[in-house]
Amino acid sequence: MNRYILLYTVLLAMIFSACQKLDLEPKGRLGQPEIFGNEFGVKKYFTGIYNYLPIEDFNYYGANSGTAYRPDNYWEAGKNSQGNMSGEFFNTWVGVNNGGFGYWPYDRIRDVNVFIQNFPTYQSKYTTEVYNALMGEAYFLRAYFYFGLAKRYGGVPIVKEVQDPLAGKDVLEVSRNTEYDTWKFIHDDLQFAIDNMPATSESGRANKYVAAALMSRTMLYAGSIAKYTQYLGFQAEPATKAGLAGIDPGKANEFFQYAVDAGKLVEAGGYTLYQKEGDLALNFARLFLDPASPENIFIKDFDQSVPGDTRLRHSYDALMSPQPDMVADVGAESYPPFDFMELYDMTTYTNSDGTPVRFTNRSDIKNDMEPRMRGTMYFDGDVLRGKAFSIQRGIYQTYKGTAADAQAGSNAAPINTMIVNGKSNRILGGRGWTTNINGVDLNITGAHGNFDDQGGENNCWGSAFVRKYINPDMKQSEAGLYRSGQHWVVFRLGEIYLNTAEALYELGKRDEAFGYIEKIRDRAGAKVKRPAIDQTSTNIGTINKAHYPYQIEKSLQFIRDERERELYGENHWWWDLRRWRTADQVLKQFRHRVLSCYYVADEKKYIYLDEINRINRDWTASKSCFYEPIPAGEIGKNNKLLPNNPLY
Amino acid sequence: MKKIAYIFLGVMLVGLSSCYKKDNWDEPNAQIHGNIIDSYTGKPLLSSQADWSIRIWERSWTASVPINQDIPVKQDGTYNNSKLFGGTYDMLPYGGPFWPVTDTTKNVVLGKGTTNGQQDFTVTPYLQLVDFETSLVGTNLTLKVRLKAPVRAGLPNLVDVKPFLSLTNFVGESNYINIPEYNDTRIQLNKSWIDAYGDVESSPLLTIGPLPVKSGYTYNVRIGANVNDANRKYNYSEIKQVIVP
Repeated sequence: MNRYILLYTVLLAMIFSACQKLDLEPKGRLGQPEIFGNEFGVKKYFTGIYNYLPIEDFNYYGANSGTAYRPDNYWEAGKNSQGNMSGEFFNTWVGVNNGGFGYWPYDRIRDVNVFIQNFPTYQSKYTTEVYNALMGEAYFLRAYFYFGLAKRYGGVPIVKEVQDPLAGKDVLEVSRNTEYDTWKFIHDDLQFAIDNMPATSESGRANKYVAAALMSRTMLYAGSIAKYTQYLGFQAEPATKAGLAGIDPGKANEFFQYAVDAGKLVEAGGYTLYQKEGDLALNFARLFLDPASPENIFIKDFDQSVPGDTRLRHSYDALMSPQPDMVADVGAESYPPFDFMELYDMTTYTNSDGTPVRFTNRSDIKNDMEPRMRGTMYFDGDVLRGKAFSIQRGIYQTYKGTAADAQAGSNAAPINTMIVNGKSNRILGGRGWTTNINGVDLNITGAHGNFDDQGGENNCWGSAFVRKYINPDMKQSEAGLYRSGQHWVVFRLGEIYLNTAEALYELGKRDEAFGYIEKIRDRAGAKVKRPAIDQTSTNIGTINKAHYPYQIEKSLQFIRDERERELYGENHWWWDLRRWRTADQVLKQFRHRVLSCYYVADEKKYIYLDEINRINRDWTASKSCFYEPIPAGEIGKNNKLLPNNPLY
Repeated sequence: MKKIAYIFLGVMLVGLSSCYKKDNWDEPNAQIHGNIIDSYTGKPLLSSQADWSIRIWERSWTASVPINQDIPVKQDGTYNNSKLFGGTYDMLPYGGPFWPVTDTTKNVVLGKGTTNGQQDFTVTPYLQLVDFETSLVGTNLTLKVRLKAPVRAGLPNLVDVKPFLSLTNFVGESNYINIPEYNDTRIQLNKSWIDAYGDVESSPLLTIGPLPVKSGYTYNVRIGANVNDANRKYNYSEIKQVIVP
């Protein structure tokens, strides 16, 4: 019996004493002192935030996703890419998304604010340099999130404090700041970052010059928004009247000047344009693949060796080149339209008398092209992973007449439909189809397109595949879904030069602006390095012959075109069209043209014809794309976000 | 076995009875309809199907600011919605090709039950398209129209004058044969009325075409013209039917 009492007592003692200790801090969890109290903790904290930065990289969905920056099923990013959405690439997967996807990253902004508010407590644990650097980095991160918001919504609530969730409606429901204040806030955060951060950093993290690069881009955006929003006719809209959507045009030059100053600061960082290869086309292609490129200011790294589902790998290679010859999975989803090829120096394909030029080989189309164009796109005859591209749309049994006789590829054109030797004169076909002409079997199409019986997957519409960012050093068998690891170049010197040039030109410093254009065109291998300045006014743009609602000087249009030549496929175009306030005109029944190659059987030569895309698809943006609607769920939580943006 | 059957029956009884519950909110059976009257002609505004909408806000709900609902305007210049919740609404014609309507029509009460509310709106269009003619030579169709701008002070820049052809009764920006052969014949102006035609009310007779049409088809044809306001919607001519022999 005594034994039991003893046992019972011991048990009781153990249980009660155990209760007292349950109140302890769990040892496996890191709190603020551990995270903010040392450099590695801060690095870990920032890594999570960097992961969510609004960078439109390989995985970015341009449409139809609530998590566009970190999408699920992100192998489909190739189909849903911003390029496909906005018509920079041609294909059939997605249309223009005017309304956005409800981006609202105030959770991440709160993470940054938690750091900014609490980090001073731990100042004594750091040297001044390190403390300032980390604080500056936090301001850079916050500015980046606000940039993601401002370019979509204009004015948004500026939240600088960590809100107490129990604080009550008056504190928690924050109204929108004006668009001017929002961009100015971004400027101030970045200025703080520039003033406090060191000149260098490990790859993938910000430093003074990265902050300056973001400053250059954001301030250029703000400048053009201030200057051109007045032409949208939004003056009667409540949000514009309240200054939430639109900036007084008188402030434009202030922002352009910030952009110029930031661009010049970046130049002091010792970056140079990539010029490692003698072959200028190869040079331009390598610039995106060389992690040690002196042109890179800030890159977002991807890595083939990390575990899946971390969104640190992507599928770009598998989704841009033909399968099975060059890649192991899926195949190409996006193709460069002729409208963009035309921007570059181009080989003559139509004679002065209107007849198509006869080429001995299909690949002769490359003979006189600007090297930058060949570095941006793959054409017939180029070799990738040991196989040559082979692109042809069809065969003409005979072609007597001018290029215009083909009526842009129309089935109604007599030269296409007339019967020769019992067959129609123009012969189109599917993969591997042949036709017999005068006793000779001929392949109707190339090995990689254009197949008339198939849709847009793995079937070259036109005459090119995308080369920019394609990694030729991968094996064909490795180029599958989630298998690519090349980095995304977030900021490079080329873009900064273009930002500075545009801002300078807007400020009336035309000669200085063209100094930067000359550097870009020299590296590109363009024929005319420095075109003469043409101050004639026009309201006609280049792509789709868009009619802008305002006049600009022709040389400014040239700078805008230069931007597209240099930055094609780098997810700038959509944002540029929006800030120039031309998206609804450039994408107004924008019916892509394609350059199609045909074999002329009786002459044994090749011709190239400028055609309207086979399915007659067009892209149309509406004026409601310039400001996305504030997400309805957020308005439901906070009525002070009203008035909503124009047209919503 | 019997026990299981009873349990099963009991569960069914509880399960099914829980499904039967009458909603304590009336079904949406209130109706609102009406005409959009063109202040110049006194007739319904020439429109395209669902090109723009009447915005309504339900004010009976006061817990938060309501988000607008839209009732699309039909081609004949009328609108109709017979599936609204009864309540008090504010209404505003918004986003169409007319001078902005600044006065929201407040407190339109749509009763419960069978109330059949009518609410007309009068708007002042930016432009009128008059003297619309079509002429067919073989399979080439030529269109003529005259623009009128009764109010020119503050008129946003003219954007374009565009032909709309359709094989159905619906013709306008929301339904037309969207091919370059037609679209490319639009007259792109992008300038003010004064720069384009001077300070006069009517433009000269504008010609569009010839447009290639197909033999054996019946086309519905009209012309639209728009100005660079926020919405850039078209004012239309009337519709003419063209039978191509």
